[in-house]
Amino acid sequence: MHRRQFLVANFLLGCGALSGSGCRSKQFAAVRSPGQGDMVGSHTAGAETYKPLVEEAVNSLLTRQTPPVTPAGTAPPPPRRICFVAVENKSAEEIGDFKDQIYEVIDLKIVNSHVFAPVNKRFVDAGLMQTRLRPDQLFVPENMRSFTYALEQQGQPFDFLLYATITSGTTRSNKDYQRDYLLTLEMINVKSGQYDKQAASLSKGYHHSRVSKWIDNIKS
Amino acid sequence: MRGPSYPKRLLATAWVLVLAAGCATYADRVTQIREEFSTGDLGRAEAAVDAGLKHRLGNDHDVLKLERSIIDLANAHPQEAEQLLREVRDHFDHLEQKAVGEKALSMVTDANRKAYAGEDYEKVLVRVMLTLSNLMGDGGDAGAYALQVADKQQQIIDAGTGSDGENPKKAYQRVAIGAYVHGMLREATHSNFDDVARSCAIVCSWQPSFPFARQDLERAQHGHHSEPGNGVLYVFTLVGIGPYKQQAIELPSTVSLLIADRILSAIGPQTLPPTIAPIKVPKVVCTPNDVTNIGVAVDGRPLGRTETITDVGGMAVAQYDAVYPHIIAEAVVRRIVKKGIIFGGKEAMGVQKDSLAGLGLDVLGVAWEATESADTRCWGLLPDKIQVLRLELPAGEHEVLLQSVGNAGITIGRPSTQRVTITNGRNTYMLANFPYSNLVGSILAKQQ
Repeated sequence: MHRRQFLVANFLLGCGALSGSGCRSKQFAAVRSPGQGDMVGSHTAGAETYKPLVEEAVNSLLTRQTPPVTPAGTAPPPPRRICFVAVENKSAEEIGDFKDQIYEVIDLKIVNSHVFAPVNKRFVDAGLMQTRLRPDQLFVPENMRSFTYALEQQGQPFDFLLYATITSGTTRSNKDYQRDYLLTLEMINVKSGQYDKQAASLSKGYHHSRVSKWIDNIKS
Repeated sequence: MRGPSYPKRLLATAWVLVLAAGCATYADRVTQIREEFSTGDLGRAEAAVDAGLKHRLGNDHDVLKLERSIIDLANAHPQEAEQLLREVRDHFDHLEQKAVGEKALSMVTDANRKAYAGEDYEKVLVRVMLTLSNLMGDGGDAGAYALQVADKQQQIIDAGTGSDGENPKKAYQRVAIGAYVHGMLREATHSNFDDVARSCAIVCSWQPSFPFARQDLERAQHGHHSEPGNGVLYVFTLVGIGPYKQQAIELPSTVSLLIADRILSAIGPQTLPPTIAPIKVPKVVCTPNDVTNIGVAVDGRPLGRTETITDVGGMAVAQYDAVYPHIIAEAVVRRIVKKGIIFGGKEAMGVQKDSLAGLGLDVLGVAWEATESADTRCWGLLPDKIQVLRLELPAGEHEVLLQSVGNAGITIGRPSTQRVTITNGRNTYMLANFPYSNLVGSILAKQQ
């Protein structure tokens, strides 16, 4: 190497080094427009999974429970009181901060439908705290009575209990896997024990590489 | 036109080397802060940290802020601690991106010239301390921070795969306290026992030595938060003096490099500066601690001892050992780069092998290499262990007494008391610092 070339190269290297500016960039964020699709969770379910599940399951339940149109001149029946107890996650994944959001979205949809008059979550939580009952213990008659009594004391009687349950099933194919998510809404009449159940499902494929995803797309 | 003479060139080179020389280590400063903190002299520890933070060009501001956050917590200022921890968390995240210029500069100086992005265990523990600080403040974000603890660990492990496909970070010990706090908060809702059971199962798996894990899981699966009329007190303690970094001499690599440069000097067109100055690397070390647990008595009755939910010292050493070969490799590469620059300089200046000028440049090279110091920046006020005890107590006011327990299982140090109010069906939290046998600062207590 010629001496001059070497010195120029060293000078440039030195300038680059001494500048110390690096190439770190700032993190950016943007508000996603309503028409924009959700980001897709690469390892677990996210908005792309839970949003359609909640939408479909709640709509199905409300459609089936909407009371028939009353004849003219007859007062419509009062909306039935429903106590939305909990969202239970029985899937293979932790849903982290999604759980409370799923509860709120379902609750909001029920409130806005006017098909039911839901009991506010704060009363539900207070009732559970007062009785020290777990949501899964409410079906013992004595427990049900004490829980109903606790809510009635707060001026919140109810006719139905509502549970939302997330479950999953996993099918493995070497390094890839398919996970089926199911959101079930279970509504139980506390007086008669009769229940209604609606569910929504969604399957998601997790691939260890783009090529694997591409091959999967070709197969299907 | 004649170029500058050899002496002038040598002088210019020496000047560049002085400019590129490494800084003094952080270890000296943190030793003083640790001593002051652990003996309970929070004012002096705070002053030492603040003096460091006043240096505008300091490249250790983030670690100093971390030290300050622990002092703030001990001083019963959880909001200030949370603010500092949040700043450092965000900055560490930003610094995870590669900076080529900075990396190049560190190659001709030492690792202290790089912005400090935190060790992996520190990145996780920032979130742990955020959780505890928030719990002792308004508590609104504690759940979110607790989830971030597990999330960050997963991110670190996922990003640990090297170009050879190996991932040393898969062996990392996981930090269970995030899952523990998440379960604790969900249990207090009285309606999310599936979350509680999941969190307890994670604690059982990640910290199997935590003696309360099984009974917590049992309660999450079949029990309830507390009996009617009772509330729950969680006593969190920061026990012992945690890990810190020391400068260590990497002798095998130094000797190997010396042999290699002697061979190359003998057969090559130029001599290389001999590896006389030892290769210095940082080493995470633990401090021996006399305190094993903190005994808790309520209204004069001893009710139990806090137990380790996160062994900070053990985890830090194990994590550091997993990536230690990479740290040595970087230090060796730095030496090779420096020797290469001296070699190139000789070639560029047309220095004859074994000439006086060549010898002078070799001496400069040795001096340049000797200016290196290991990057000992670290979070020096971390505790050795984070411990917790869950107590179910009748609603009402109670006097809680904390006293450290030594290795022999007997109480040592002065007892410290704090009055707390327990609310029916709710959680109350306490946080105390025991770097040695006595409480440092104040006991924090907060109702949910």
